[in-house]
Amino acid sequence: MRKLIILTPLVILFIISIFLLIYLLSNKDPNKPPSVLLNKNVPNFESNSLYNPKIYINYEKVKNKKVLINFFASWCLPCKVEHPLFFELSKRYPDLFILGFNHKDKIEDAKKYLLEDGNPYNFVGVDKDGMIALEFGVFGLPETFLINENGKIIYKFMGPLTKEIILNEIEPLL
Amino acid sequence: MSSLVGFISLSLAIGINFFLLFSYFFLKNKNYNFNLIVRLSSVLTLISFFSLMFSYVTSDFSNFNVFQNSHSNKPLIYKISGTWGNHEGSMLLWISILSIYGFLFSITKVADLKFKQLTLVIQSSLHILFGLFIVFTSNPFLVNSVIVKEGLGLNPILQDPGLAIHPPVLYAGYVGYSIIFSLAIAGLLNKNNDDEWLYIAKKWSLISWTFLTGGIALGSYWAYYELGWGGWWFWDPVENISLMPWITGLALVHSLLMIRGEQILKKWIIFLSILCFSLSIFGTFLVRSGILTSVHSFAADASRGLFILLIFFIITGFGFLVFLLRTPENSKPINLLFVNKVSALVINNVLMIITTLTILLGTIYPIIIEVITNDRISVGGPYFNSTVIPIMMPGFLLMSVAPVLSWQTNRLRNAKLYVLGFMIISVVVLIQSYFTTFNTWGVLGLILGVWIIVASIISIFSSYKIKFSYKMLQKINPHIAHIGVGIAIVGITCSSVFKEEYDYNINEGDKFRIKNTFITFQKVETTNEANFQALRANFLIKKDEKLVANIRAGKNYYPVSKMITSEAGIFHEWFRDIYFIVGDQKDNNWFIKIYINPFVSFIWLGVLIMVLSGFIGVTKK
Repeated sequence: MRKLIILTPLVILFIISIFLLIYLLSNKDPNKPPSVLLNKNVPNFESNSLYNPKIYINYEKVKNKKVLINFFASWCLPCKVEHPLFFELSKRYPDLFILGFNHKDKIEDAKKYLLEDGNPYNFVGVDKDGMIALEFGVFGLPETFLINENGKIIYKFMGPLTKEIILNEIEPLL
Repeated sequence: MSSLVGFISLSLAIGINFFLLFSYFFLKNKNYNFNLIVRLSSVLTLISFFSLMFSYVTSDFSNFNVFQNSHSNKPLIYKISGTWGNHEGSMLLWISILSIYGFLFSITKVADLKFKQLTLVIQSSLHILFGLFIVFTSNPFLVNSVIVKEGLGLNPILQDPGLAIHPPVLYAGYVGYSIIFSLAIAGLLNKNNDDEWLYIAKKWSLISWTFLTGGIALGSYWAYYELGWGGWWFWDPVENISLMPWITGLALVHSLLMIRGEQILKKWIIFLSILCFSLSIFGTFLVRSGILTSVHSFAADASRGLFILLIFFIITGFGFLVFLLRTPENSKPINLLFVNKVSALVINNVLMIITTLTILLGTIYPIIIEVITNDRISVGGPYFNSTVIPIMMPGFLLMSVAPVLSWQTNRLRNAKLYVLGFMIISVVVLIQSYFTTFNTWGVLGLILGVWIIVASIISIFSSYKIKFSYKMLQKINPHIAHIGVGIAIVGITCSSVFKEEYDYNINEGDKFRIKNTFITFQKVETTNEANFQALRANFLIKKDEKLVANIRAGKNYYPVSKMITSEAGIFHEWFRDIYFIVGDQKDNNWFIKIYINPFVSFIWLGVLIMVLSGFIGVTKK
């Protein structure tokens, strides 16, 4: 009995270590939680164009299309990294509607950024106060969502996209 | 160059410890100076640490670590603190402090030389484990592959004087437990079964615990004014994992003070000694592996996580295994009465362990659930508040009289006086809260806090003849520490239960009033500082028509890392803090949030008293 009590810490240690080990090996990253929005309908949004405040976009306008939504900003360095990949994507999938949301940015800075690095988006919406990002549950920039023809979010990625991710995770869904 | 020096001296230090380990077990003839070798390895480790610091101070961007975490126009203090403001450097700090403790222990007088050697060998093994971890997964001396003129900058949220010293102090606590661990294991393994180590461990445990207290408080104080959330404790996982070794360390300190040769207590102390250090490494693991989401955003890396998990498993497993195999036998029974010193100690120890387990469960529960069900849950403040606080309450009730309880009998001297004191306090607090805002937790917390202070004062005056001398201070030191706890409890209770929150949407020049305080939102200014742009809103605080303070709150923008930090403005008064946060500007109006935090300063005062009394305790013979 006494030995049993003294054995307890070792047993607890084993159990905790095993759980931690499984957790580490399963490659889960707590900073990238699965979106609660996954497989749900895309939240309502309405946003003005970066280039012309009179033109606006909402989901009605891109209904029945596959839409790739990307939140970006000129101050976001990782966004700059993934930026060129969208050109390739739009070339290969001309039917895909790539919608960029310029997040908490200055209009001039955003325009300058897209002028210098090019504009791969079919439409650039302004999300100046971050309300749209809030609706989408965006944690940090960049963040990318894929919406299917039925208006359901079928994929979400936090952080800069890479060639591998586009190839292995996004293209199979297109 | 300094990177090379740093790397070589670290490797040499590890090599020397390997030699020590090897020679201890395999060389019969040990005619070399054991202590000297330990000191040599310590000095080499410190050289390694200071060469990294040198790279930071001189902005040597040929070092990859410096390049990633520093910037040449950073103020000197943040260049220095940048050394440990990143994962690799902070692990180097960890091992350096481990070395310092080894060094200090090597110059400590210990009667049993074999025992001392064994302790140092265990300490060296710890050094090897963490040293290899640094060399293989977290090397701060990597050379930058490209030539650069400028670094990427330190996370702005870390550019703060409080946070600059928070990690070293915290680590001095965490790592201090390594000596206790080594002592306990050496004590178990040592065939010459005397209890000398218990008396040596007393001081080391108090030192570690005091540093840990200071470290946690510094982090908490930083969170209070830097994060801009209006609070000072958020049950953040990283806070929780520092709280666990703190509580077990508290149990350890008290058990060591009380031991009078009882074998069962000795067993318990060994258990606590192993547990304290295990929890310290466990904390390191959880933070460094990136398993937990928290304000301590460190880069996650699975290989690092695995390595530390392995270290944690080896050290803890080894510790408890030795404990299992070589438990001391019960000989002298424990003198347990209904209310004597020993029973109070046992009750408080049990409560502290339950508290630790509760926090442990809440902290790792999300991980377990995610492994089993793949669902993500979060355990936060409500769980901890509703479990931890009620468990601790009886302990607080008891601690006020525990120091004056008798060893041998059930009697408490002046029991009537204490009961009367308790009744008066309860009635006064109840009446007071009945006429103001009644809150159950508030009433309980206030009664407990005030009771601890009053009972400790009664104890001091009824048990000692008061003289003003340092010796006297040492004598009444336990009571002083408890008064600190009481003061902190009053602060904690008031600031969390009676906190008020006000929101304003106002323009420059507007005036408003919170109770008897008139506040003018004077103007907003932006200035360019050395490494950031500052936006500051100026608030004039008037009381009875007199200007009493000018508080600046705002935000800093760090162009290098493109981050904005919030800088709360705090008007400190003895009995409350007025806490200003500036939000965004919209339609010419500024969003201003104001918290009235009553008695927050009591928390810091209470902790300060605890820390001071901890150091006074160390000087006691």
